[in-house]
Amino acid sequence: MADFKLMKGNEAIAESALRAGCRFYAGYPITPQSEILEYMSANMAARGGVFIQGESEIASMSMLWGAAACGERVMTSSSGPGFDLKQEGISYLASYNLPAVIIDVMRYGVGDGEITEGQDSYWLATRGGGHGDSRQIVLAPASVQECADLTYLAFDLAEKYRTVVLLLSDGGISQMIEKVVLPEEKEHDKSKFDWAIKGYKELDEPKVKVTNLDRSMDYDEYDQMMRDKFAEMHENEQRWEEFMTEDAELILVAYGISSRICKSAVRRAREQGMKLGLIRPISAWPFPKKGFQNLPESVKGLVTVEMSLSSQLGLDVRMATEFKVPLYGYLTSKYVPTTQGIVDYCKDILAGKVKELEVF
Amino acid sequence: MAKTYKKPEMINQQVGWCPGCGHGIIQRLIAECCEELGLVEKTVQVVDIACAYWSIDTLNADGIAGPHGRCAAVATGIKKVYPDSNVYVHAGDGCSYVIGLSETCFAAERNVPITMIVVNNGVFGMTGGQMCAATTLVGDKTVSSKKGRDPEVAGKPYDMLNILSNYDIAYAARGALYDPKHIDQTKKMIKKGFQNQMEKKGFSIIEVLSPCPTNWKLSPSDAMEKIKNENEQFFPVKVYVDVDGGDK
Repeated sequence: MADFKLMKGNEAIAESALRAGCRFYAGYPITPQSEILEYMSANMAARGGVFIQGESEIASMSMLWGAAACGERVMTSSSGPGFDLKQEGISYLASYNLPAVIIDVMRYGVGDGEITEGQDSYWLATRGGGHGDSRQIVLAPASVQECADLTYLAFDLAEKYRTVVLLLSDGGISQMIEKVVLPEEKEHDKSKFDWAIKGYKELDEPKVKVTNLDRSMDYDEYDQMMRDKFAEMHENEQRWEEFMTEDAELILVAYGISSRICKSAVRRAREQGMKLGLIRPISAWPFPKKGFQNLPESVKGLVTVEMSLSSQLGLDVRMATEFKVPLYGYLTSKYVPTTQGIVDYCKDILAGKVKELEVF
Repeated sequence: MAKTYKKPEMINQQVGWCPGCGHGIIQRLIAECCEELGLVEKTVQVVDIACAYWSIDTLNADGIAGPHGRCAAVATGIKKVYPDSNVYVHAGDGCSYVIGLSETCFAAERNVPITMIVVNNGVFGMTGGQMCAATTLVGDKTVSSKKGRDPEVAGKPYDMLNILSNYDIAYAARGALYDPKHIDQTKKMIKKGFQNQMEKKGFSIIEVLSPCPTNWKLSPSDAMEKIKNENEQFFPVKVYVDVDGGDK
């Protein structure tokens, strides 16, 4: 059996990042993600990397922008209102196509909300960072093991597409302790990129100008390159898990902490003779449309289960099913959904007592 | 015998500044200092997205333009990854002292061995000459203080080098460009900033009183006179901090 450790989700994210070759971290404390920053402060120097506790999220992102431009594997992390402040940097990273990994450990609520678990940032994370018009890959872990695996994967995807990759965790997943098998340690060669700042260049070597937009090509070429990249990521990077969907009457759609309760609800409902299933998006962007293309004949409706005020998943599900399948939303905002709550809600749907979800 | 000045080789493209602007002189001084210290190959330029941005294509060096105001943080990221390179910031007063005040102060607080060259021209140049909270003199007219800066409404300018002198940094000095003597003095200050960086002494900042004839609506020579007669009275040309204890 593989050698496992007991770790918090946040610790697994940080350790996995170091094992992926991350050698630059800058961030600012905010609950419930501060363990990532603390872990980096304790363990980065031994790997020969740089840890900076920034004066703000904004400054941390700008430090990241400088380090990413040098080809280093870079990461930052935040939550709730701190994630707002990351947007400036995300937009710039996206503009010059610099790889970076950004962790958002979601919490509940608008404004400061609460420091407790929630799923507040789906829209902001999946609809392009900053002031808009860019796309980032967004991965949503639902276990400590996935915190490690998806963080590790995030660095490779960031580099493959020269993009920001967001890990959309939440207070529930990031604070829980589970067993985890950590990935292999690997080395990253920051000098291998022709687009990166080098720190030393001979007079006759070509120089790079890391700017807003990539001016090594003309504007039209740049626009087409960006569109092609978004389309390629959308086509190739859809990830999801299907759980007992083959004969389901109702299929739950949930990610992160909510999806774990959904699995229990599927099992409990089936013990009682109600056929539930679950589609769990692992990539929130690209949304796994392909997972909805061959829904079983038995399906009477889909049910999003989310810890938010509005159904943020709902619109994506509507689009993935071309508005053809009835959709319901079980929204619990700051309360982690309960197994029985989901089962009862689904019973009510089948009894015709629940109105369809209107997405807006 | 007459001395012949040549363009530094490091400047390999045209610049785009307005006639009479001080940025071009500063760009030249930066290039001369890099060449005289043998730092051309090691140099990474960090420019702000405003008027300093015009310099990014002119130098034969890797360059980066960050989000507006964040130059000191961007330079911190680069310097931490490549500690032996010569990382300098070329940015304005709006970037360094207003929207990026925090980033500048914390680069000083961490004493990151970078060299910041801050152009004090009293306005937001790129956006059309609006008031700069840090550097527009009381009474000076701009497009966002049309009757002259009123301290009741907009506060008073502040001397950032006084503030930064409270941090444990290597060097802080202010130069000017209104005559050859002051240009030479400014060059020595910039050179000192680069030397400090190479000797890993810490954070250096050189502020330069610089004309913006376009937005001041003055001729280039009248703009130089204004700096000498007015701006320098509030922003004295001197060395504020020198870790080596040089002349102040």
